[in-house]
Amino acid sequence: MADTPPEALKATTIAKPTRYFALLHRPLKSHLKRFVGLPLILLVALAFSPHSPRGGLIFLEFGNITDILRQISEIGIISLGMTFVILTGGIDLSVGTVLALSSSIVASLLTRTQWGVPASIAISLSVGAAVLAGVMVGVTNGVVIARWRIQPFIVTLATMIGVRGLARGLTSNTNIDIGFGTDMPSVFAGALSGRAVVIGSYVVLSILLALLLSNTIFGRHIRAIGDNEKAAQYAGLPIAKTKILAYAMTGLLAGYSGVLHAAQNHQGNPNAGVAYELEAIAAVVIGGTSLMGGSGSILGTVVGTLIMGVITNILRLNNVDNNLEMIAKAAIIIAAVWLQQKGKESA
Amino acid sequence: MSRRVVYLALVGMFAFLPACHNNQGAKKYFVAFSQCNNAEPYRAAQNQLMEKLFQQKGNVQLVIADAQQDNSKQIAQIETFIRQKPDLLIVAPNERAPLTEVMGRAMAAGIPVICLERDITQPNYTTFIGADNLAIGKMAGQFVVDSLNRKYGKPQGKVVEIRGLLGVEAEMERYNGAHDVLKGYSGIKIVHEAVADWLQSNARERMLEILRAQPEIDVLYGHNDPMAVGAYLAARDLGRDKQMIFIGVDGLGGPAGGIKKVEDGVLAATFYYPLCVDKAVEIGEQIVQDPNFHPDKQYILKPELITSENASQMYQKLTF
Repeated sequence: MADTPPEALKATTIAKPTRYFALLHRPLKSHLKRFVGLPLILLVALAFSPHSPRGGLIFLEFGNITDILRQISEIGIISLGMTFVILTGGIDLSVGTVLALSSSIVASLLTRTQWGVPASIAISLSVGAAVLAGVMVGVTNGVVIARWRIQPFIVTLATMIGVRGLARGLTSNTNIDIGFGTDMPSVFAGALSGRAVVIGSYVVLSILLALLLSNTIFGRHIRAIGDNEKAAQYAGLPIAKTKILAYAMTGLLAGYSGVLHAAQNHQGNPNAGVAYELEAIAAVVIGGTSLMGGSGSILGTVVGTLIMGVITNILRLNNVDNNLEMIAKAAIIIAAVWLQQKGKESA
Repeated sequence: MSRRVVYLALVGMFAFLPACHNNQGAKKYFVAFSQCNNAEPYRAAQNQLMEKLFQQKGNVQLVIADAQQDNSKQIAQIETFIRQKPDLLIVAPNERAPLTEVMGRAMAAGIPVICLERDITQPNYTTFIGADNLAIGKMAGQFVVDSLNRKYGKPQGKVVEIRGLLGVEAEMERYNGAHDVLKGYSGIKIVHEAVADWLQSNARERMLEILRAQPEIDVLYGHNDPMAVGAYLAARDLGRDKQMIFIGVDGLGGPAGGIKKVEDGVLAATFYYPLCVDKAVEIGEQIVQDPNFHPDKQYILKPELITSENASQMYQKLTF
């Protein structure tokens, strides 16, 4: 990449912008081909769903569908941010521990602080502080990566370790439980753990970030950097600023996910979120985003997340042995990515 | 390879699913067990015993889901079980607060719920079957006092403690119970405490350092058997294993369990922390068979001291 003369690179970047709107112009059929994995998995799920005592398919029960959506929301929200980072050609391994940190912060602020203000303000401030912590970790990642030019894998591996230590230190290694009563922490957990709130957050954030990626200059910069950073640099794009924003946004989303995690689990847990980063990366990649950066979409990531959620659900509904479940998932991830790639090639 | 082959392979993979899901024939009861973490030896022993006992009943289809020590995963698995409407749901909660709400939902769906070994923050269960770690800690403390009395004729000596994962309830209670007893004896000094996260390998490493720092040790108390064994291995490496006794907790059966280590003379004692499963199967069976049966709200099972005197007998009883 570095050997190519700058002029040629410049030419390719300038030629690129038409591609950013390809999503809108491409015929519907090619969309279907790209996301062939999801309908396939849904068909399989329908075919193998066990029947409820009343005779219907358990998979299609409204409660089961909302179970799936609720279960994928935390990873789903994280993977939205991860999509932006991966599109720039980067990676963020710290999201799982950011989730743990944020869940610990919101729970300890709510349970261990004497707030002299109305509950709604105290809750908003606690949530805000937890999300802000996520943003700060993200900004740190972004600044070190963009300004000091250290590889994203190394930087976020380091913050992943450091933030885990920070979360454990803040909580003295204990989980902070939130009760079920009528006190303020309980109100917080009740308000933010409902299905409507959790699933709604995921849906709204997905739409907002899809628009951000496809309809804004920031989104175009993200793709351009991942596509060819040198060219983007010669074209005068604000590379550092864009990258820092992408990591900050990922931190923000992981932080918000941590808040939902605390509410849903009635607990701030410094040991939560183990391997969440890998699940988020898997969802992004299954959704057809290239780990090399440049190409991919939020819609793809949502599809990838759904595929993972539906697979897990249908295997569990059939009481497949846990070890077998892991092996099956591994095979399905590889097959899904391969099919997505084939779909893209033939599209 | 064409895409079609991959499609076929995927569909084929699912084709075996219905085979795992067999409920034809006579009325079979469907019992779902949500286990917090199969990877711990204690939990694995619970699973084995439960499979064995329900298999003996003959009319029970048992499904065990492993939450891999993840609250969110366990909640998701219980949600799936609620959809499947089992005749009985047994839950070994990973942690108190996070599992409380979903177990309440299972109860609301009309599924009898047995809460196993770890209590939750609200009584969202039909019955709770558990054991008492604080009592184990106290028994361990008393055993330390008695052995030092035998060794020196009075309660004095130096104790090293190897702790499990900090912040975990079993660790705190096994610690506090022992300290409640030991603090009554001014001659007994706890000269070193190390944290080894329940792991034999960690305990061995920590103990090597401790042995360098402490020229005299009389008793090593490990919060579980593997850590006590790890400490023993370190002491043996340095030729000091005969200078002290090693005591552990859990008292699992089988060749890898702590009882075998007592029989082998590695551990002076271990404390059987009840698996709770035999009681759960007994009560669970009554719940599914007899709609009018109302179990007690809780059953707390007693720990047992295992020494060379009763080790072979306990080994028989607790090896499946």
